Amino acid sequence: MSLLIKNAAIVNHHSISKGNVLVENGVIQKIRKNISERNVSKVLDAHGTYVLPGFIDMHTHLRSPGREDEETIESGSLAAAHGGVTTLLCMPNTEYPLDNQQRVSWVRETAQQIGIADVYPVGCITKERKGKELTEFGHLKEAGAIALSDDGNPVENTLVLRRALEYASAFNLLIISHCEDTSLTAGGIMREGKTSSLLGLAGIPSIAESIVVARELELARYANTRIHLAHISCKRSVEFIGRAKRDGVRVSCETCPHYFSLSTEDWEERYSALLKVNPPLPEKEDIAAIKKALKNGIIDTVASDHAPHTKEEKNADLQEAPFGMIGLELLFPLTYTYLVDKGNFSIKELVRMLSVTPARILGFSVRGAIKEGMRADITVVDTDASFKVSEDDLYSLSKNTPFLGAELKGKVLATVFGGKVVYNELK
Amino acid sequence: MLNKKHLLGIKDLSKEEIEEILNQAKVFKEVSQRQVKKTPALRGKTVVNLFFEPSTRTRISFELAAKRLSADVINVASQSSSLVKGESLIDTLQNIEALSCDIAIVRHTVAGTPHILAEHTHACVVNAGDGSNEHPTQGLLDMFTVKERLGTLQNLNVVIVGDILHSRVARSNVWGFLKFGCGITLCAPPTLIPRDIDEEQGVGVSYDLAGSLKKADVVIMLRIQRERQATHFFPSLREYVRYFSLNDTTAKALGKNTLVLHPGPVNWDTEISSSLKERLSPLILDQVTNGLAVRMAVLYLLSLRKEQKR
Repeated sequence: MSLLIKNAAIVNHHSISKGNVLVENGVIQKIRKNISERNVSKVLDAHGTYVLPGFIDMHTHLRSPGREDEETIESGSLAAAHGGVTTLLCMPNTEYPLDNQQRVSWVRETAQQIGIADVYPVGCITKERKGKELTEFGHLKEAGAIALSDDGNPVENTLVLRRALEYASAFNLLIISHCEDTSLTAGGIMREGKTSSLLGLAGIPSIAESIVVARELELARYANTRIHLAHISCKRSVEFIGRAKRDGVRVSCETCPHYFSLSTEDWEERYSALLKVNPPLPEKEDIAAIKKALKNGIIDTVASDHAPHTKEEKNADLQEAPFGMIGLELLFPLTYTYLVDKGNFSIKELVRMLSVTPARILGFSVRGAIKEGMRADITVVDTDASFKVSEDDLYSLSKNTPFLGAELKGKVLATVFGGKVVYNELK
Repeated sequence: MLNKKHLLGIKDLSKEEIEEILNQAKVFKEVSQRQVKKTPALRGKTVVNLFFEPSTRTRISFELAAKRLSADVINVASQSSSLVKGESLIDTLQNIEALSCDIAIVRHTVAGTPHILAEHTHACVVNAGDGSNEHPTQGLLDMFTVKERLGTLQNLNVVIVGDILHSRVARSNVWGFLKFGCGITLCAPPTLIPRDIDEEQGVGVSYDLAGSLKKADVVIMLRIQRERQATHFFPSLREYVRYFSLNDTTAKALGKNTLVLHPGPVNWDTEISSSLKERLSPLILDQVTNGLAVRMAVLYLLSLRKEQKR
């Protein structure tokens, strides 16, 4: 089985070059100006497109096991392929949480059988995500967990988190922290500030995040361990992380497209549960800080925080409606539209954020670049194409995104996962 | 001409639209004083009262307003959707459609619910109070009362006292009076003042009741809920009363013509000392009377608009 991508404009972290890419046995074998089509089983003509290393989404919710009405491993994998995402982490806050070997290995093995995206389960830090007893980190890693998190919940007890960070370091397991002081967020719907005050919507203050960010950084510094901070959404968090990085703390972090494309102003336009997300949509000054931090690398990567919910769930009142929006399929278009097309980022920087740094954080030596010897995870995009976000085009079982009807720029045309074409609009 | 299909908030109304509603209310107030109080303006129309939050006074006021206009009225009381996740709102929507009603009057514990319903129904939606957001007919009746007594709404000093954070009445009044160039002072303990609210032009904050009453043309006292104590907004009701209730001492700061309003029902000796009952009650009861006229005006004007659209 071999694949030739011809007429490719190959984008890597530091370069854009023309060439043909030959894939054999799931690996990029050769990149040359000219490669013969003879003896090649499949050819993709990438003329007029960019060919990027497959995206790595560090934060998704695939809802299985337990809420297969919202998403399944299969529909999530299809959504990933449609979004150009070849590797993704799925969070363990499922109905039946991923806090034991059986559930972790079930997710990993199910995804491998489906075989259209590399789905890595994140295991729970504590049993049932209750923040009390540690799970069996070593066993979870052996079962396929790539990292640990109680995502959706913080580990409230500082001692428990300290032990988790220290213990995990023996297994080189990354701890991913959901930074939230729940005593400050309880009952909140949107970011607290002038807009929430005028709209009469219960507020979630930015300090609910930044206070916990500060604690995590102090812990990681003291314990001298790595830590990854999920869905960073506010200016103060960015300032704390920037300082910690300068001081040599081994911290990495992600933000999400909705923290640089939407803001509290969207609430002024409409009361809609589709805007309800945790952490909540930021203020304009946060967006500026987040963009700057993405530019200078203080924020390492953009993850989708893909959070599927059914129409019924989102059709409730704003208090009752759950937090979250889907994002796997819009990760690239949103990042491209808001940072490259409307912003001052280059396509190379986009590759750094969506492919290179997550590969580095997760320790994947053969992902995150289009080079000979790398695994053939490849995403072909058309950056001139615009499209309207429509429910009908989404592979995710859930359609909860406030971008329905929005016009975005940048389209994924084909996705190659481990040498296999898993999504293709190219002819 | 009221240029809206729905009345969701005073925030969305223009000054002219507010004036139009108040003028129409004046006509209906006169009608209410006649021997025959009923007019046929809404004959053949159906009004549904959809109350997801317990309410007697507002519901009765709307019900009577609709009946005085000869509409058919249905009352649907439903508990908040907390037990049956997500189902209530959709069920309700389907109910409205099935009853082919013309106007839906909606009260809900959560801000934004009438707006969400309005997007999904052909009926006119009137917000009868949504969470901490707005209670537009209360704001309008407050403005009606002020205009009737002071002759103008222009450039007044309005002081709103009490649980501003959770009050839809406060927000409707802020939006309304701001449109007439009034200055607004919100007076409460800092824990009950919404964050950054004073960033809005024309809105100020004070923790000193007597001081803020001195220059007031209008004082709106809000109901204070005892539960707030349990959630750390203030340490005790006793202490709240000590600093933020209107009593014989603080009332000395009131000017001779200063109006004291209250959306009712008053917790006497909590927001207002019962020693002031005789002096303040007549106006507070007059607000109830005006509420009926204002709600008739709102229903009438919305029905006109709907007919035009057809």
